[in-house]
Amino acid sequence: MGKSRIRSFIKNRWYLGWLIPLFIFLPFLTPHHSLASEMLIFAIFAMGYDILFGYTGLLSFGHAIFFGAGAYSLGLLLIKFQAPLLVGLLGGVSVTLAIALVVGFLSIRVKGIYFVMVTLAFCQMFYFIAFKWAGLTGGDNGLHGVPRPPIFTIHLDSELRLYYLILILFVLCLLLALRIVHSPFGRALQSLKSNEDRAKSIGFNTARFKLLSFLISAFFGGLAGGLYALHLNFVPLETLNIMASGDVVIMSIIGGIGTLYGPIFGAMLLVYLKNLMSGWTAQWNFIMGILFITSVLTLRRGILVEVKERFFRKG
Amino acid sequence: MDIQFISVQLFNGLALGSFYVLLSLGLTIIFGMLGVVNFAHGALYMLGAYCAYTLVQVYSGTFWMALILSPLIVGLVGIVMESTLLRKLYDLPHFYNLLLTFGLMIFIEEFIQIIYSPMGKPFNTPEEFLGSFDLGFMLFPKYRLFILVVTAFLAIGIWLFISKTKLGAVIRAGTDDSEMVDALGIDISKTFTLVFGMGAGLAGLAGALAAPLQNIFPYMGMGILTETFVVVIIGGMGSIFGSILGGIIVGELITMGVIFWPPLANTLIYIFMAAVLLLRPRGFFGRAKFFE
Repeated sequence: MGKSRIRSFIKNRWYLGWLIPLFIFLPFLTPHHSLASEMLIFAIFAMGYDILFGYTGLLSFGHAIFFGAGAYSLGLLLIKFQAPLLVGLLGGVSVTLAIALVVGFLSIRVKGIYFVMVTLAFCQMFYFIAFKWAGLTGGDNGLHGVPRPPIFTIHLDSELRLYYLILILFVLCLLLALRIVHSPFGRALQSLKSNEDRAKSIGFNTARFKLLSFLISAFFGGLAGGLYALHLNFVPLETLNIMASGDVVIMSIIGGIGTLYGPIFGAMLLVYLKNLMSGWTAQWNFIMGILFITSVLTLRRGILVEVKERFFRKG
Repeated sequence: MDIQFISVQLFNGLALGSFYVLLSLGLTIIFGMLGVVNFAHGALYMLGAYCAYTLVQVYSGTFWMALILSPLIVGLVGIVMESTLLRKLYDLPHFYNLLLTFGLMIFIEEFIQIIYSPMGKPFNTPEEFLGSFDLGFMLFPKYRLFILVVTAFLAIGIWLFISKTKLGAVIRAGTDDSEMVDALGIDISKTFTLVFGMGAGLAGLAGALAAPLQNIFPYMGMGILTETFVVVIIGGMGSIFGSILGGIIVGELITMGVIFWPPLANTLIYIFMAAVLLLRPRGFFGRAKFFE
């Protein structure tokens, strides 16, 4: 027993041994540095989303709201108030959490499939608000001219520096997410997924847990959205689109829900693929549709697990 | 703002509501039977509009032909979707099927976008429906009146079909416990396919009816899909009366919103939905423990 545990520990270490350099040198492996940033941004988004979808079992089709809210509010804080970067990030996340509190409070009043429809409807509502309120958000054109103020004394004008800032935040987010899912609170969330009625009868305040899970995932989404605004120097209206909500769902499914690492991988893979494909064809969304259908039919446990099961199964 | 103007707008709201009624009826019977929220419903509506466009503008058929053929073609697409793909996932948690239909929605929209280009296509009001009809107290466009009449007939027909026929009884029983119906010796999987085809056909008809009122474009289904979701959230999923009431409310809210407060026109229905969620989370006619 002891020996095998040590062996698996070493094996895990060896695993990290190439994963850490991979993340450090990722910008040099992608066609351009900024693609690596985008991969990590969506990884943060998908990681938080997995706490809600994979661990708590709530499928939300409205998480573009929080990604978009984070992006717009950070952008507006930096543009209109020339706020420092940290203030912008914190402000963006706070606005996102405030919105998530209202949307979450209303959405968790319904269950299952109704939850999906309600979150989707709210997503459309925020899309319309951003679209119509062009004076503030730039409407259809998006919010242009988001600056990249320095963080403390470090200037972020190079894509590489921004990547390392995002990497630091990514690692912090990952540690936070791991801490959450392995805590007693995380276990309680999982109990909601497997049997909500039982969790309730044990004495958990299920509504509160659901709302907290919703807020946590919105926090990650808002942070990712803010970073996205920095990364692009602009906030496209499409960040609030229902398709953007669909993107994070498919990232999670492809990577394998309820594993935390799976959605991170799924997000990075999908962003990379999207970038690769858009060089060849303008019909990325068509490919996305086929990808969605095939992955729901065949890759439900995540691409890594399914490939391993199908092609490398021993005996 | 005189009373005539208001009453015309109220009627316009009803005509708009008709589309929501047709779509949410299809959505709700599919959901009641299969437990699937059909995200592709908006795409099927768009497909119906493109069917009508192709038949009338490209092959210069009559509008009546389009009204009959579009629902049949779209219904057939629905039957193929159900019997080849959706069927595979019935034993899994419901959300997998929902995600599958979301994928199908993207697929159908992009497919049409590739074939017909993303640009909108104009579609003229058919000649026989040009002009207005004198209702005594006001003039109302003939075509919108026609939509109202068709929807009213269909809604009554569906209600009669579900509540009075033998097949309707099977559908109602299947809504409550499809395994039990299967055990009683009725081929429930055929009924599943039929119901999905019917719902899809209704969406196709709504699309064909909507074509003359607007330019048609590949993504026209997305907006109406979310609005239809709002209808079923307000009315209560699985209820025919809920669909009708919800459809009328949403149609009126959008029409009135455009007149009285344009910036908020698109948002009004979501605010109303939020209020309903606060007061009656299951909607007006929603049932407890119904696919929750």
